Amino acid sequence: MLLLQQIANGLMLGSVYVTVAVAFTLTISILNFLNFTIPTLFMLAGMVGWSLAFWGLPFGISGPLPWPLALAGGVVVAIVASLIVERFTFRYLKTRYGDSTEHAIPLVSSLGFLLILENLVRIEHGSDAQRFPGPSADLTLSLAGIHLRVPQVVSLAVVVLLVLGLVWMMKSSRIGRMLRAIAENPDAAGILGIETRRVVPVVFMLTGMLCGLAGALFAVNYGEVSPQMGEDIGSKAIAGMVVGGLGSLWGAVAGGVIIGLIEMMTIHWAGADTVQATVWGALLITLLIRPQGLFGHHAIGKGKL
Amino acid sequence: MSEAWLETEALDVTYGRTHAVRGVSLTVGEGEIVAVLGANGAGKTSLLRALQGAVKPSGGTIRFMGRDLTNAGSAERVRSGMMLVPEGRQIFVSMTVHENLLMGGHLRRDQSAVEKDIKAVYERFPNLAERRDMKATVLSGGEQQMLAVGRALIGRPKLMMLDEPSLGLSPLFVEKLFSLIQELNGEGLSILLVEQNTHMALEIASRAYVLELGRVTLQGAAADLAADAALAEAYLGAEPA
Repeated sequence: MLLLQQIANGLMLGSVYVTVAVAFTLTISILNFLNFTIPTLFMLAGMVGWSLAFWGLPFGISGPLPWPLALAGGVVVAIVASLIVERFTFRYLKTRYGDSTEHAIPLVSSLGFLLILENLVRIEHGSDAQRFPGPSADLTLSLAGIHLRVPQVVSLAVVVLLVLGLVWMMKSSRIGRMLRAIAENPDAAGILGIETRRVVPVVFMLTGMLCGLAGALFAVNYGEVSPQMGEDIGSKAIAGMVVGGLGSLWGAVAGGVIIGLIEMMTIHWAGADTVQATVWGALLITLLIRPQGLFGHHAIGKGKL
Repeated sequence: MSEAWLETEALDVTYGRTHAVRGVSLTVGEGEIVAVLGANGAGKTSLLRALQGAVKPSGGTIRFMGRDLTNAGSAERVRSGMMLVPEGRQIFVSMTVHENLLMGGHLRRDQSAVEKDIKAVYERFPNLAERRDMKATVLSGGEQQMLAVGRALIGRPKLMMLDEPSLGLSPLFVEKLFSLIQELNGEGLSILLVEQNTHMALEIASRAYVLELGRVTLQGAAADLAADAALAEAYLGAEPA
């Protein structure tokens, strides 16, 4: 019974990884860009949400906000931050310095944004973890002896809907086809009148939204936020993405869940200290046996959605 | 000559220090087939890239249907009726045949009319209809060219610009392609045809321009150019005229 409980917990944790892994996958497969600001956007939503719930709007405009409103504010800030990152890493530097160092420029500058944003939050709020005043932990559902906290169940449902919506969008909508066209052949997309610079912000908006929601869900479910909360999630999400297969949305989903389960199983059988070893061990084994990941098509290089 | 739809004046394209297109002035009239000929590196593809909006001209103007499109983005050009069928087809191989066709009409809001146009393309190219839900990779080179033309047609162009459409096709398919171009032209589409296959291009074109090192060195009626000794020497060289 305890094991089943841990599996349930693993799924919940995995759903946070899934959301972040899907965000990584989108930018990698469409823009061929490993966006290092993703963990920061995740953190930003959580920390801004906490700040709004604890202090209220800045400059004394309002007192503490109710937590759902505060988290919504956090998500909005994550989206705006993501668009700012697009403006100053991807668009500005890429158009200014051209294509010879195409991949390095956004990569390195997004790493810069990670450090800047993380430290800004640290200056403002200090580096201590803060308790997030979310919904009561007493709200539980009991199902065949497993206790599920209601917020967890809701989060899982949100993630499932989010991923299904995203998959539908990429497959069947006009904007999804445009994104796939840019992913495959930006020149041909341009010939048909798709202007990359107008479509790229959509990717960053989605990234901000996914990371923001993941950060909000994390704050609600684990009741704690800190300026470092993105680091661990970011690396686990990357691990999940690689295990699942680079460039595949379903791969990111499967990988995120697998990493969440591995983490919980490790805690169950071996204790929390061994988590890093099993997670990265799983990644290594995947790379050795099946370098393209579970659902990936290519071992290395630009993925396709 | 009928009224000019496309008109470039003293068009210049430079990449860094390379001056790819120098002062090219050309026109394509309503219902015309105009050929642009020239050797590799003569600036033909650069000219098309400038017309399509992928590169900004460093000088000169581009007008289409009376509008100045010199600094317009590619979306605006497609909307106003200019469509390029690029060299090497450039279809989306990760998409189905049907999705490729949909991409041609992605700027259009009239979805039911797009579906109708796609149906018309399927009637024109039954091979594509049979493979509509297959990935475009399964198509042969000729079928891919048909798909590229079909995709462009879904954009409802007034002027279709074709960049080396015969490249890599079997002689049989080249024949088919050129009669297709004539057929489309007969339906009212103006054509700007960039070709290395000088003979066939001059056969279907009404007028032609010859580019050399980015400049127009010869222009005139296609029939006159076909008879021109200088052109024959320069471009028709090895083949009998």
